[in-house]
Amino acid sequence: MTLENEYAILTNHLTKKFKDFIAVNDLDLKVKKGEIYGLLGPNGAGKTTIIKMLASIRNPTKGKASVLGEEIPDGNIASKIGYMPQETGIYLGLTVDQNMKFYGRIFNLKREEIEKREDELLKFVDLEDWKYEMVENLSGGMKHRVSLACTLIHQPELLFLDEPTVGVDPELRESFWKYFQQLKENGATILITTHYMDEARHCDRIGFIQRGKLIAEDTPANLLKNSGKDSLEDAFLLFSRKEDKDLKEVMA
Amino acid sequence: MKFYRIMAISRRVFRDVANDKRSLAMLFLAPIFAMCVFGVAFSGDVENVNVIIVNQDQGLTSPLGGTTYLSTEIINNLNTTTLNIQNMTNLDEARLKVENGQSSAVIIFPEDFSKNAFLKSQNQSYPLNAEIIIEGDDSITNIKNAILKSVNQAISDTLTENGITPAIKVTSDPIYGKDAEFIDFFVPGILAFVVYLLTTILTLITFVGERSNGTLERVLASPVTEGEVVTGYAITFSTFGVLQVALLMIIAIMVFNIMVVGNVILAFFAVAILAIACQALGILLSSLAKRPEQAIQFFPFVILPVFLLSGVFWPVQAIPYWLRPFSYIVPPTYAVDACRAVMLKGWGLDKIWPDLLALLIFALFFLFLAVWTLKRGKK
Repeated sequence: MTLENEYAILTNHLTKKFKDFIAVNDLDLKVKKGEIYGLLGPNGAGKTTIIKMLASIRNPTKGKASVLGEEIPDGNIASKIGYMPQETGIYLGLTVDQNMKFYGRIFNLKREEIEKREDELLKFVDLEDWKYEMVENLSGGMKHRVSLACTLIHQPELLFLDEPTVGVDPELRESFWKYFQQLKENGATILITTHYMDEARHCDRIGFIQRGKLIAEDTPANLLKNSGKDSLEDAFLLFSRKEDKDLKEVMA
Repeated sequence: MKFYRIMAISRRVFRDVANDKRSLAMLFLAPIFAMCVFGVAFSGDVENVNVIIVNQDQGLTSPLGGTTYLSTEIINNLNTTTLNIQNMTNLDEARLKVENGQSSAVIIFPEDFSKNAFLKSQNQSYPLNAEIIIEGDDSITNIKNAILKSVNQAISDTLTENGITPAIKVTSDPIYGKDAEFIDFFVPGILAFVVYLLTTILTLITFVGERSNGTLERVLASPVTEGEVVTGYAITFSTFGVLQVALLMIIAIMVFNIMVVGNVILAFFAVAILAIACQALGILLSSLAKRPEQAIQFFPFVILPVFLLSGVFWPVQAIPYWLRPFSYIVPPTYAVDACRAVMLKGWGLDKIWPDLLALLIFALFFLFLAVWTLKRGKK
């Protein structure tokens, strides 16, 4: 099995600079096909920029990345990926139905196919009764669910979910993770960012991101074991301090 | 009411504005800009109007010998700041120039102009035959009035210099815009202006929303290209533009009884291309605004220059000479001109194509720039 067959995402020294600010620093990331990989880190750590580069929304400054076996940003992968932005990315002035039809159309789905997927997905996110409601009238959590449904309309192989659970209540967050597990069982690969450390335990593997760098990576259980801590939050802080110390030593 | 709370709020609002350097700049620059625009706009007289003089006057030969040409004296007294005078002998050629829009009027002095004038001055019972005929494009009332005023002033100056008081009548025989009033001049311009304004502002606001809601990114992460986004917007907004104009035109015709002598489909066409250029301009501007409030700050700069320069309220000839080149870099100028030519003069595609071509070039240029800014956003 070649690397491209085994991994959905492979990056090589991937770097993104905004003027003098290095948002993503020399990142080597490997995400296996069919796994849920969580990028964990504080706000501003560079998680969103990583996702945006992999979804071909931003071009890398340096380095390479292959997504589903194709080089980005030139590769032809757009129809195979689903991107859920942090800001929900749905049209407030349209109904739920109109949003889903729009996102279905841009992936060239046939009318009957869209109808079928729409019904499945609205059931999945429990919004069947809200199909013809204007999105602006929905609550924050409902908007997130519509956003997720729109992301899934074309049955993407690879999902980029940028902080999908921000501002979502704990109950809904649990059901979101159930959805993600279901998607995984159906064969999808998921790259998800979050700064809620506790929910990251649902991931198959986790990468801790700080100042644009991958400072540790493993399964949640191994991260806890190796750090000797009880929570992922404490584990993150430990790795983060270690990284700071290393940096100081290098600087000295 | 507590003073400290009022002051806290006041200070907070003040800081909010002061923290955003651009808001602060707009707060003071926009009024200066607005004052200058209106100052310049209202201070301008109509200048550099192209007119052609066809002088067929044979003069008056006195019994003592020597011929006096009253026409020449009047022509010499015409205000050359207002009028750009060209002399021609062939009347038909001169008329053709007005018909083609190269000149605003032909001023004709008939054969026995001097003779009739002097005969009338010597004998009051002689019929009033001395006339100057203006065959002009009366569709732009400001220009028509400026020509008329210049001619009347020249007549009065000449007569005062010569110490004679013959009556000379000025007859107007319009080539275009017979009975046109200010409203007839104004409405075609307003059609183009409204479309410019609403399309630019609506796209600007919508697109700032697309950027801040994450919808633009989601769409660009799909197989949709930047060019497809911009073209999709263009189709919608040009359709809206045509519908707006159709609605306005119906009201203008039914309520204001305005003059329409040409094929309005051509006017729709001009406005549709204008709308395409404007939506692309809106997308361009949206790349400079992070929040809707910042987009609103562009409004004075979107509205005022076009208000002044495009010829909606004043013909281009009525704005200061040094500002005129700028008229030709704002797209609505061409749409205003095309709508007016179609509605008031009945011009067809054969004559308004330069306007349409200019609009098309602007539209393509802005579309290209809009796509470019979207692509650049990936950097």
